[in-house]
Amino acid sequence: MADVPWLSMLLALPLVGALTTACVRRAPWAQRLALASAGLTLLCSLCIVALFDSGDDGFQFIEQAAWIPGLNVSYLVGVDGLSVLFLPATALLFTAAIVAGWRSQGNAEAAGVAPGVHFALLFVLEAATLGVFCALDSLLFFFCWESTLAPIYFLVSLWGRGAGRQSAAVRYFLVMLAGGVPLLFGLLAAAFGQGGAGAPVFDLPSLLATPLPEAVQMLVFLLLLVGFGVKVPLVSLHTWLPSIALGAPAAVTALLVGLKLGAYGLIRFAIPLAPLAARELHWLLAGLGTLAMLYGSVAALAQSNLRGVLAYASLAHVGLVLLGLASFSVSALQGALLQLLNFSLAAGGGFLILSFLQRRSGSTDAAQLGQLFGRWPLLSAFFLLFGLAGIGLPGTSGFPGELLIIVAALHDHTGAGLAALFATVVGAAAFLAPYRAAFFGSGSASAKAQSESDPLADLLPRELAIALVFAALVLIVGVYPMPWLELLRPAAEAWVAGLAGL
Amino acid sequence: MNAGEFLPAACAALAATSQAVWLVPLLPLLAAGAIGCRMLLRPQGDAAEPATASLASGSALAALVALIVFDLAAIGGCAPQHVLAGDWLRIGPVPVRLSFLLDAYSLPAATLVTLISTLTLRFSATYLHREAGFHRFHCGLALFLAGMLLIALAGNAVLTFVGWEIAGFSSWLLIGYAWQRPVATGNALLVFLTNRVGDAGFLLAIGLAVWSVGTLEWAWLDGDGTMATVTARLLAVGFVVAALVKSAQVPFTPWIARALEGPTPSSAVFYGSLMVHAGVFLLCRMQELLVQVPDLLALIAIAGLLSALYGTLCALVQSDVKSALVFSTVAQVGLMFLLCGLGQFALAAGWSAAHAGWRAYQFLLAPAFMHLVPHPAPPVPGWLAGRMWLYTATLQRFWIEALAHSLLTRPTLALGRDVRAFDERFIDPLVGAPRVDDHSPSGAADDLIRGHGLAGSALFAFANRLQRWESRLLMSGEDSALVRQLQRIVHYADTVETLLEQPRYLMLMVMATFVVIL
Repeated sequence: MADVPWLSMLLALPLVGALTTACVRRAPWAQRLALASAGLTLLCSLCIVALFDSGDDGFQFIEQAAWIPGLNVSYLVGVDGLSVLFLPATALLFTAAIVAGWRSQGNAEAAGVAPGVHFALLFVLEAATLGVFCALDSLLFFFCWESTLAPIYFLVSLWGRGAGRQSAAVRYFLVMLAGGVPLLFGLLAAAFGQGGAGAPVFDLPSLLATPLPEAVQMLVFLLLLVGFGVKVPLVSLHTWLPSIALGAPAAVTALLVGLKLGAYGLIRFAIPLAPLAARELHWLLAGLGTLAMLYGSVAALAQSNLRGVLAYASLAHVGLVLLGLASFSVSALQGALLQLLNFSLAAGGGFLILSFLQRRSGSTDAAQLGQLFGRWPLLSAFFLLFGLAGIGLPGTSGFPGELLIIVAALHDHTGAGLAALFATVVGAAAFLAPYRAAFFGSGSASAKAQSESDPLADLLPRELAIALVFAALVLIVGVYPMPWLELLRPAAEAWVAGLAGL
Repeated sequence: MNAGEFLPAACAALAATSQAVWLVPLLPLLAAGAIGCRMLLRPQGDAAEPATASLASGSALAALVALIVFDLAAIGGCAPQHVLAGDWLRIGPVPVRLSFLLDAYSLPAATLVTLISTLTLRFSATYLHREAGFHRFHCGLALFLAGMLLIALAGNAVLTFVGWEIAGFSSWLLIGYAWQRPVATGNALLVFLTNRVGDAGFLLAIGLAVWSVGTLEWAWLDGDGTMATVTARLLAVGFVVAALVKSAQVPFTPWIARALEGPTPSSAVFYGSLMVHAGVFLLCRMQELLVQVPDLLALIAIAGLLSALYGTLCALVQSDVKSALVFSTVAQVGLMFLLCGLGQFALAAGWSAAHAGWRAYQFLLAPAFMHLVPHPAPPVPGWLAGRMWLYTATLQRFWIEALAHSLLTRPTLALGRDVRAFDERFIDPLVGAPRVDDHSPSGAADDLIRGHGLAGSALFAFANRLQRWESRLLMSGEDSALVRQLQRIVHYADTVETLLEQPRYLMLMVMATFVVIL
């Protein structure tokens, strides 16, 4: 089994899916092909997790091929304990997004776009996202990173919602493109930073083996922090998030918010490449995290649209993750990674449920909704569960990560830890208050009229299947987090040792 | 087999069964899960009710039987004090075990909790017959039982915390039982959030325990006698806040009066008898730690005394049965806190058990009270009615809630609105994005392209500057642009200053200073 190129297979499957679905002219066939392709990718990612040797703290499934030999750039992929769980999470989210967006061709169909294009774009995005998690060559990583932009732009601007979709797509594209510049320069600085006349070094294992000079580290760290910070997002670079959450099709929002590429980039590249600078600037990381946490949870209070609430709540969550990273300890890193995986489930599941809600009531604005619990109890119950996972109720997947991070933060940044405790209270209010308004509240006439004109039952079978899978994972991880944490442990220990050894 | 052989063998068997104590909280949890799964199929009608009811009360009964066996084992001296059932997770070097304590506090508390819950579940099967939320109610109550059993039996702080939050969440579920009524859901939200404040205290204590004591097991949490008083005080404060909130002691009392919106059986078990005593139980659980910090004990005693007075006074002026009962509960629990503060933990625990039993009975009887009591309720006593200020204060429940509202809730909400406005008016234009609703006056139609945001505007300003510089070579003139710029800056400074004068920003700055200092 060892010589099967699992990761290349994983990256190739969605691309094959993209090619085939793009060629298909008839909608039903495109749907079947898309489902099969997404299912195969998910299966492949699960195989990788099953074959993964959890005792090994290094990279596994490594594949290398020359790509641009003149620049010493190679196609180098591999996974370790930090990244391996993101593969099935990505594949699962994409499968769910494809199933959820089954018939939502919407306004693009009127514009004459072939039915398969929607799926093809999703598959390109999936391949690029998986590439981000697998890439061990910094230029390959950057290539995958930027390749996510084009499909997102088209998905948002063609299948988005409302008049704001075009501007949301443009804004996202420009902001991310601008963020790509410091990112590229940071990666280049790391590649050329070794000094000497040798060829630039782009592959991560050898970059990690030879630490950079301290001045270069500072430059690399700050550039990468800004570059990844746009995607994380850090406060003041975050306004693309609510506008995307409101404008993008729900499935795409679930992907963008559920997969925290920015935080992953910090864990994989920014901090290990510049360990001295990261240790020196730990207060900056912790401060930015605290700011994002407080800002997000307070701003979520003033949102009336459930999508906006989830967007700002995810800003608060990622702030907590940053705070955990700033501790540079094994348990905090485990907590941060578990929290990132929890987003994929909680935020992804939440946005998917909201897409079901949007289809039924035509709105996700709490001010226009109300009394939904009586009409669609299952939908309401699942949304509640995902929201509770977001606020970290014990028994859901949000709790272990939050506990680990807060305990570590209380030790290393006591003030920030106290702020995190405050944010847990506000965060609970920020979720439950709009939940109450939308699902229990009195509601207004417009939503009722709309729903009467298009009466849909409570969750359809395929929607129920998605919700059940996500809910089961939320509960399983929450009730018994030990195996997942142990899977992360060796790589996390190696990560921390790499920082401390300097 | 004679008695001499039989007893040790039975004892060993009992000890072996005691290892399965993890089953006790798990059973109601599974029942709640099973009822939840049943609700996926949307059961309807009378026929669906018995299965749900028997799932819930069956699990409670099984837990009760198991607990009685453990009680017998403990009385016979066979049960192990500390049962381990594997690791749950690991915080750095400190493992969080699935450990359970079977001692003189936990076993009676767990048995009492299960007994009262079993009876209440039986009662509600009839009481809620043909109610729309029959299944939801049983699910919530089973969840609550699981949480309470975790609190009672848990051997370490994290497991207790899990039970603590599960109990809080199930109280949210049941207060909002009549979800169509805005009052009920609003109260549910308030209660959950107040409880969440206590939970934050609990988390703080957990974090401090990991780093200062290096263990989370209750048995060793009091340290080895070498802990500095400061550390012990910090550690205990978090737990004490959590206990004060859960037991609705001053100054966290208002939530409990709001919590009575749920169906009567749930009010009975949550606020009448079981959950409200969880704080007393927590204090007893950590008494070894508390006795190291005398000043905190004094604080507990004062809080208890104040709550006792508060509860008594407020109970006198209530006009409905449930409110009067709940305030007198607060008063009684306050007295238990007073006892704890005086160091009489065993007495407080015994009192709470007796009180729990009696109060559950009273609450369950409350709906029929008017029926049972022929004469009207006694009027407010003269000494209270005569003092107008005291009477008003009592009626207003000493304005605690209004105070919390204007000091905490309103500023936080206002801050949320400010942050939103900040995003929309400041960061959005700064980052710049072509918005659909962008009708800025400068947007003349003949502009081919237009700069947005900081980067775009800077580029445009640069281009304009270049152009102006070029034209100034040709002609020079009076330029008041600088003056205008200065005026604009002054205007901004004024705005910032007026914002800073508002108390919430002042508070925020103080908090930020604290965060930075710490």
